[in-house]
Amino acid sequence: MKTRTIVKTLIGVVVIGGGVGYFMYQAMQSSWSYYYSVDEFSDHHSEVKDASIRIAGRVKPGTVARDLQKMQLNFILSGSKSTVPVSYKGTVPDNFTEDIEVVVEGSLDTTGLFRADRLMTKCESKYKAKVK
Amino acid sequence: MAELGRFALLLGLFLSGYAILADLLGTWRKDNSLLDSARNATIACLGCLTVAVAGLLVLLVQSDFSVTYVAGNTSKALPLAYKLSALWAGAAGSLLLWLWLQVGFVAAAFCRTPPEQRGFGARARAIANLVSVYFLMVMVIDKNPFDVSVVAPADGAGLNPLLQHPAMVLHPPTLFIGYAAFAIPFAWAIASIKQDAGQGPGPMFRQARNWILWAWLFLTAGIVLGAWWAYEELGWGGYWAWDPVENSSLLPWLTATALLHSCRTYKARTPTAVWMIVLSLLTFSLCIFGTFLTRYGLVSSVHAFGEPGLGILFIVLLVHIWFIAAILALYKRSCYRPTESASVGRGMRFIIYNNWLMIILTFVIFVGTLFPFLSGLFTEQKITLKPEYFSKITAPGGLLLLLLLGVCPYLLRFGMNFSQRSIGAALVIIAAGCAGFITGRYPIPCFIICGFVLLNLVADVAGYEMKLAEGRKKGVSTSRNLRWYGSRIVHFGVLLVFVGIAGSGGYGTEIQKVLQPGQAFTLGNFKIVYDVLKADHGPNFTAATANMSVYKASELIANLKPARAVYTAGGKAVSEVDIHRTLAGDLYLALTDLDSSSKLINLRILIKPLINWIWIGSTVMILGTVLVLTSYHRRKVISGD
Repeated sequence: MKTRTIVKTLIGVVVIGGGVGYFMYQAMQSSWSYYYSVDEFSDHHSEVKDASIRIAGRVKPGTVARDLQKMQLNFILSGSKSTVPVSYKGTVPDNFTEDIEVVVEGSLDTTGLFRADRLMTKCESKYKAKVK
Repeated sequence: MAELGRFALLLGLFLSGYAILADLLGTWRKDNSLLDSARNATIACLGCLTVAVAGLLVLLVQSDFSVTYVAGNTSKALPLAYKLSALWAGAAGSLLLWLWLQVGFVAAAFCRTPPEQRGFGARARAIANLVSVYFLMVMVIDKNPFDVSVVAPADGAGLNPLLQHPAMVLHPPTLFIGYAAFAIPFAWAIASIKQDAGQGPGPMFRQARNWILWAWLFLTAGIVLGAWWAYEELGWGGYWAWDPVENSSLLPWLTATALLHSCRTYKARTPTAVWMIVLSLLTFSLCIFGTFLTRYGLVSSVHAFGEPGLGILFIVLLVHIWFIAAILALYKRSCYRPTESASVGRGMRFIIYNNWLMIILTFVIFVGTLFPFLSGLFTEQKITLKPEYFSKITAPGGLLLLLLLGVCPYLLRFGMNFSQRSIGAALVIIAAGCAGFITGRYPIPCFIICGFVLLNLVADVAGYEMKLAEGRKKGVSTSRNLRWYGSRIVHFGVLLVFVGIAGSGGYGTEIQKVLQPGQAFTLGNFKIVYDVLKADHGPNFTAATANMSVYKASELIANLKPARAVYTAGGKAVSEVDIHRTLAGDLYLALTDLDSSSKLINLRILIKPLINWIWIGSTVMILGTVLVLTSYHRRKVISGD
């Protein structure tokens, strides 16, 4: 290969790679979200104030309370040794019920209540057809 | 029956292993009888898998719950169609279906090779059988659909009510047909690494090109079906959530689209030959990797829990494949030095730009999908990326692709010439850039570029027709090139899809309301009145339907009936959304919650402008591809190649 081609290729790689890298970095920064299980979250929650967090846990049976007037859903998310109270505002997925695994996304408020703005149900194992 | 199935899988494993050895030994010793034997073994393996699929279907229909797979995915009360579709409702069954299709395709493509292509066919068959061996090993050891439990349950677990929808029945097998068919270009690519240079595209290439088109067609249809189901059934009003499972079907689609375009300029010994080989490998690898990713929980998806197991065999398979490809490429690397005569034409150059863009998009989505896993490698803290990451990157990337679709100069033979096109493109970039800068969003730039692409397409078609008319005047009998028309139609479909995405994503509104009977509200041009709640108590559920009247300019235009059923056992709810559809946009109502005594409801209302153009555009894309395919087959009949 001629030196000129090599230089041209290098410049191209640097420019495109840099551009793509910059775009990815920008996009990542604004959509960063820490992922915890309920137990991990209880150990670390002081470190992640104000950050966007996802917590995975099980909906504790008997704790689900819907408030139709405020369009709110309150429940307690439990891990193996600790729990987090969650208040979620938004559409509740159809397959949300008690005693299933869910992931909530949001942040902790000052009273220790987790305010979620996204609720994702992890479907039980027979929900497999969508999996490729 | 279960024993028969298990035996068939084991025999299939043995046969495909034997076929590899026979093919390798046969090509090495140039022994045609060994090659014939390998071919027969491959066909026999297809027979075994057919027996296994048929056996599993019989077990499903008979509701033999002693088989774990049958008990896990069906129940007695399930309608017959859903019992049959449970073949692909679980991991084990869908692997079986995939492999059965794949071996069938391989048998069709590489077992009837003309004598002079025997060696090529044998190499391709060997690599395809290698994939079969791995799949069968996973199935026999880990995910055997014929595993029986000691105590048979009285009834099966049934199929999730959400999945009892026609689109959901068709979506997985459609994808599997696509995935399985990509094994053909993949095997072709590996085999052609070793092919001696200096030949034009052999007859095998034409075959590979057809398979790529078929595979792409099914993959596209599968993805669209999934998106449509999500929109119709899930009640959140979207069609794509950038979930790992969705991404894992999009990744091979992107590389496959690049592959499809690379076919156009394929010639041995050119950079496009390398592109085709790499893209074929990438596409099939991504199909397998996606399966591994979602089945085995490397990244936890909303769709399912991964189950630990022998999934690592899929990764071993991928390493194995790329290792073989690398060894072959090193061994034959002299073939891929571009010869001086093979200059890179303008058309080819743009195809390479397109390829790079697709690869970059694939990479970006790949990194985002794997981010929770990757971040776990470097820190103890798991970090996930919200869907915004993907939309922020794919929006500008998609617009660039759309722009390329407008300027792509291989269309130049008709209509506008290159300088007109590039001036147009420059103006469009400036206009779109300004619009994007002023609004800070993507929809308007997208519409501007769409307009430019439409202009180009119209100019192309007009130029083509004029040329035809000219030819006819001179007495040259020319018929329309359906392949050319077909690909223009596909591009037109892409344009419509972009219009739909930009419209629904950029101008959609969404509100949530708490309503009492008789209450009304306005949203956009619509005035919506909540008339009455009709409750219905079934034996195991309470269902409620809210009657909503929709007025536009004080004229009643629709009665929408969003409904919701709550099953008493487990409290599982199923909501039926109701949609007022027009080409200008959808009014989408979902009943998210209700109190049957006070008739208070929570309603989610979305206006999704232009969203139906996504479905229309996708249909146009599929029809265009079918047109291209029929033209290939027609030509085959006429010229006999």
